[in-house]
Amino acid sequence: MNFFDKVFEQRSRQLAQRSSRRGLLKGLGAMLVGGASIPLLPVARAAGAEGAGRPVEEGDPSSCDYWRYCAIDGFLCDCCGGSANTCPPGTEMSPVTWIGTCHNPADGRNYVISYNDCCGKSSCGACLCMRDEGDRPVYRPDKTNDLNWCLGTSSVTYHCSTAIVVGVAFDD
Amino acid sequence: MWNGSETRAVAAVLCGLMGAGQALAADKPLPPPLPVEPIGIVETLPREYPASWFLVHDAAFFHMSDGKVWVLDTAEDTVARQVQGTFNVSMIGNIQQSPSRAEIYATETFQTRGTRGERIDVLTIWDQENLSPVAEVVLPQGKRFMGLPERDALLLLNDDRWLAVANFSPAASVTLVDLEERKIIGDIGTPGCVLTYPAGKRGFSSLCADGRFLSTELAEDGSVVAQVRTDAFFDSDDSPIFERPAYVGDMAYFPTFAGEVIPVDVSGKVARVGEPWHLVPEAEREQGWAPGGIGITGEDDLGRFYVLMHPDATDGSHNGGGAEVWIYNPEKQTRVARIALREWGLSLAVSRGPEPKLLVTNPVNMSLELYDAQSGDFLKTIPDLGQNTPLMLFGAR
Repeated sequence: MNFFDKVFEQRSRQLAQRSSRRGLLKGLGAMLVGGASIPLLPVARAAGAEGAGRPVEEGDPSSCDYWRYCAIDGFLCDCCGGSANTCPPGTEMSPVTWIGTCHNPADGRNYVISYNDCCGKSSCGACLCMRDEGDRPVYRPDKTNDLNWCLGTSSVTYHCSTAIVVGVAFDD
Repeated sequence: MWNGSETRAVAAVLCGLMGAGQALAADKPLPPPLPVEPIGIVETLPREYPASWFLVHDAAFFHMSDGKVWVLDTAEDTVARQVQGTFNVSMIGNIQQSPSRAEIYATETFQTRGTRGERIDVLTIWDQENLSPVAEVVLPQGKRFMGLPERDALLLLNDDRWLAVANFSPAASVTLVDLEERKIIGDIGTPGCVLTYPAGKRGFSSLCADGRFLSTELAEDGSVVAQVRTDAFFDSDDSPIFERPAYVGDMAYFPTFAGEVIPVDVSGKVARVGEPWHLVPEAEREQGWAPGGIGITGEDDLGRFYVLMHPDATDGSHNGGGAEVWIYNPEKQTRVARIALREWGLSLAVSRGPEPKLLVTNPVNMSLELYDAQSGDFLKTIPDLGQNTPLMLFGAR
């Protein structure tokens, strides 16, 4: 790691922890909206792909380093009364999300992660995490976290972001 | 330690001195009393904002319904002098200034119970002299573009008579507003394409997921004459570009994730895409310099454009900001200056006029830092406006 690596890492961590930003929304986008679109994704449903033994994953879901958060940019719901795949009490999960593909080091597979936002209460404020891997600008809504994805919910107010496994990613 | 008699003696001397002082004051005539001041005076601003003024958009990421824009005079040295006024922008809206109309336009969203309740989306019209919401246009519900601030989510066109408002619901469209009549002309679908870039006098282009522009030509009544898709000029998976161009004359310069820039002629009815050229001199490419940040581009009246750059770019670093601002002569396709920032930068803006100044958001503590854009000299830090997350900056026009 050279000097610039250290600087960038430091600045990025400071940015993520203290500053302000998060690319607001998550989702599949205009062409991949809602649960009905899930079968269109390049994924194999996890339930059908498992062999013998129990699925494994490791890490701290309240840490920005957690494997599922590779493409996230927002407040981690795990720090807000929810978990990596559930919303805090009294909020509403957006049905429209954006996705990322993250590598699970515990089983060596890549998974498609759906970053559904939880909506209806003001910004959680805890555990701001910005990693942005695979993120694209807003012209690619299925891959952008810069939008407020509290769409299709009764409230437009963003609270926090989940990271839900929706399937094993196919190899190219 | 003093005994009781000594203490009393000292107290007597002090009382005597105080009495003498009062006698002296009584001998000196008092100045006239302060005049009675009028109540109810509210300050106003000039119709045309000076070149040293900036608009600092705090999107209030931690309390989004309370976004705010500071009107800031960076030529001054104290907060008391720098802050000229503020206006609110609720729920991560976007703003656009029209100097010819002396108005600033802002998309906002409100809910009847604050964080919940019925939603209403409006275009709020602030007048520059009073920073008052002199009018509003109710927008079609639930679809105005809402995300990290964009310079190209609102576009003035038709000699500032119309405003194009970008929508994303997630269906993409544009709402065309007549600023004279303060009413909506109509909605225009831009399927698969977002935001509003200039296209001639009376049109706009949008950027598409398949790497094309969709250029929309409008008639005198605001109806659609034609929509034309250009050839694909980038791959949004493998060779993405930033949606945040700099503008010099009739050209828009779109940086790419890989460190190139794509010139686009926006003077005609259809966007004309030129040949890309590299932002990074060949000898420095091994250092992995690439654009990054939120407000990553700017331009000055000297014909130059600015890009926020960071070294050792990796997947995911494109939103993180940069250590330097690089300045380009687009005619010669060369870098003419690089400014090493004192702190990391997240967004930038450049003032107008012959002596441009560069304002940069420092994401570490959210202060603003001002540089001389010609010499590169650091001028000052502006730390204490009460800002929370000033994610987008604009030089006053």
